[in-house]
Amino acid sequence: MRPSLSPGFAVLATGAAMAAGIYATAVLDEIVGGIVSGRGARAAGAMLAPVRRAAQLVLQRRAATERPDAEAWALAPALLAGLAAVGMAVVPFGPGLAVAGIDAGIVLFGAAMALVMVAVFLQGWSANSVFPVVGGYRFVAQALSYEMLHMLVLIAAALPARSLAVGDIVESQAHLWNVLRQPLGLPLYLVAAAGLAFWGPLRLPDAEDLAGGTSAELSGVALLLWRVAQRAMLVAVAAMGAAAFLGGWQGPLLPGAAWLALKTLALVALLVAARHLLARVPVERFMWACWVVLIPLALLDVFLGGAQALWAAP
Amino acid sequence: MGLRPLARLAAGPVPTFVVPGRGGRRAADDLRLDGRLRLVDSPRAAAVLLVAGTLTDRLLPAAMLAHDQIPGPRATVQWVPEGRRDRLAGTFSAPVLLRGDVDVGAAVAATYRELLAGDRPSDPPVYPDVPPAPWRGAGPYGQGGKGMSGGVPYGRPLAGRAPDRDGLELDRLPLEIGPLFPPFPPGLILRIDLQGDVVQQVAGWENALAFGRPPRDIFRRALREPVALAELEVARARHHLRWLSGTLRLHGLPALGLRVLVLARRVGPGDVDAVASLKRKLERSRSLAWATRGIATLQPEDVRDGPGGPVARSAGIRDDLRTEDPAYRGLGFEPLTRGEGDARARWRHRLAEAVQALELAGRAGDRLVEAAGGVESPRGALRIGGSPSADLLSRLPALLPGREWGEAVALVHDLDLDMEEAVRAAREEAA
Repeated sequence: MRPSLSPGFAVLATGAAMAAGIYATAVLDEIVGGIVSGRGARAAGAMLAPVRRAAQLVLQRRAATERPDAEAWALAPALLAGLAAVGMAVVPFGPGLAVAGIDAGIVLFGAAMALVMVAVFLQGWSANSVFPVVGGYRFVAQALSYEMLHMLVLIAAALPARSLAVGDIVESQAHLWNVLRQPLGLPLYLVAAAGLAFWGPLRLPDAEDLAGGTSAELSGVALLLWRVAQRAMLVAVAAMGAAAFLGGWQGPLLPGAAWLALKTLALVALLVAARHLLARVPVERFMWACWVVLIPLALLDVFLGGAQALWAAP
Repeated sequence: MGLRPLARLAAGPVPTFVVPGRGGRRAADDLRLDGRLRLVDSPRAAAVLLVAGTLTDRLLPAAMLAHDQIPGPRATVQWVPEGRRDRLAGTFSAPVLLRGDVDVGAAVAATYRELLAGDRPSDPPVYPDVPPAPWRGAGPYGQGGKGMSGGVPYGRPLAGRAPDRDGLELDRLPLEIGPLFPPFPPGLILRIDLQGDVVQQVAGWENALAFGRPPRDIFRRALREPVALAELEVARARHHLRWLSGTLRLHGLPALGLRVLVLARRVGPGDVDAVASLKRKLERSRSLAWATRGIATLQPEDVRDGPGGPVARSAGIRDDLRTEDPAYRGLGFEPLTRGEGDARARWRHRLAEAVQALELAGRAGDRLVEAAGGVESPRGALRIGGSPSADLLSRLPALLPGREWGEAVALVHDLDLDMEEAVRAAREEAA
């Protein structure tokens, strides 16, 4: 039995961690975007920009379409943010310290991430409008392609730890992080992570050629919630990436939570840079790449992980 | 009146949806560089509707619909460029009217501030907020009912069964896209049938900007009077770079697109190295290559016997009116061609042509281009009474069917149509 947190503190801790992560993502995005566009980035402006956008959306009324699926439309961002919170909850921020330090944490994480497809499809479906629904279907094609990849690399990371608990996976990296032990793991995981958060090169359901896709009919608070939920997902997958491949809370001097935050931020920064430097992948090409190249590579990663587990066996 | 704290926070870059009318496309594009505005792709995300240029009768209903789709509080700013008639200006209930050479960004920002402070009431809707026709579905979820399946019953597109390209019976959805769909050239209305995300048929197209005379840019001026070769080639390079900026935006690289737009506005004969370096950098980008290689491929027969231009030259057709011009021959001009004909070939080719154009401009001295019946414009052979845009437009129904939606959008963008140039081509319905 692992030490557990009181429910109130658990909800607060998850919420605070995610809010900080979402804000940091938005600021980083502003800074990198400013540098890439050549406009330059002023720190003060970048700190304020996300707050400004949020205030604009809060002050905007919410528009409705004809005959939307109102319940599903309200549910979609809540579901996506909720799934991100579940993902965040299993990531330990210290030895034996996690909001949900359960024995099968990696399974819970995978189960939550599998439902992301439902949330994004609901968002696309509910508006009763063409571009959002095409975006929703695109995401289904995208999700069917990255999901295998996503779970395979996480299983490979779990093999040397001989445990499905995320805490054990972190502790198994005490001497050597998985990013070095399994060099295929983190790059493949980041592809799946960008897919899960429909971010950067994998922003297929919200693409420019669909005038915003699943978010094309969103306005006001609904749009704000959808953007927040998407970035929450980005933070959650980055945190899991830090735990599974970068040694999680382990590190000298600083407390564990600080190390986890730093490593998560590093992965977020990588994904933000990818958004501004990598072109969006056409949907058919992404499916081809996943099934023909990346999933076989992920299987190879699993075999390597298995070999490492046998090697380390007592 | 002062701003409440939340409104004070919100007074940042104004989310703006732009309706580019006649004579307003370039200015609308340049607004992307204005830090006081943030152009959005969907009116749902906007607070201000900016009508840039003159409206036409066909564009007006679309502009009003976009206006009503802005959730509010909303305002309208109408800007009419110098030398244009303000045909439908003032059609909206309480617009801010701007004329000629004014600071559009400042006006939009000021209008938004007034909205936030409550000094300006939110625009009332133009159309009544009721369905254009009652919904006549009979089932418990509004489905079914007489005449409520397939086609466009009472203005709403509904899917009906039709054979697809593989001979299966699948849902087919008739749609009208445009004239304000951001990735398309402003004014283009396409009526297409979608099966899933595959374009099954182009049922017709319409040009919402087909009105009056084509714009008089330097290439059209060259049809009537001699112009400096250097000036013409700099304009070509700028045109291609501007197009590239839109291409990067379409492929998910808006920040890089802004950087290229800045370059496009100031580039001159001395900037050969800057453009060549941009070309090398983009050609090194594996992700851009991967996202565009083999996408929206055109075969030589798709563009044969047409206006030539970069679209044809990147598909292996060597047509270029400049080869017949003694001024260009004196500079040793040879047209560039590529064989692949895909989206990647088109952006690489246009970049190469931009570099070539700047080199030509640098060596041109005071040579003049005297058009003998036609000018090689950045879109292809421009003649009196014939425009490359009109020709390419008429080929769309043959080019799009069978392509995935994203690919179809990339192809329409790559053709680089100018609906104002295609004035004579007003509408075409497929049989």
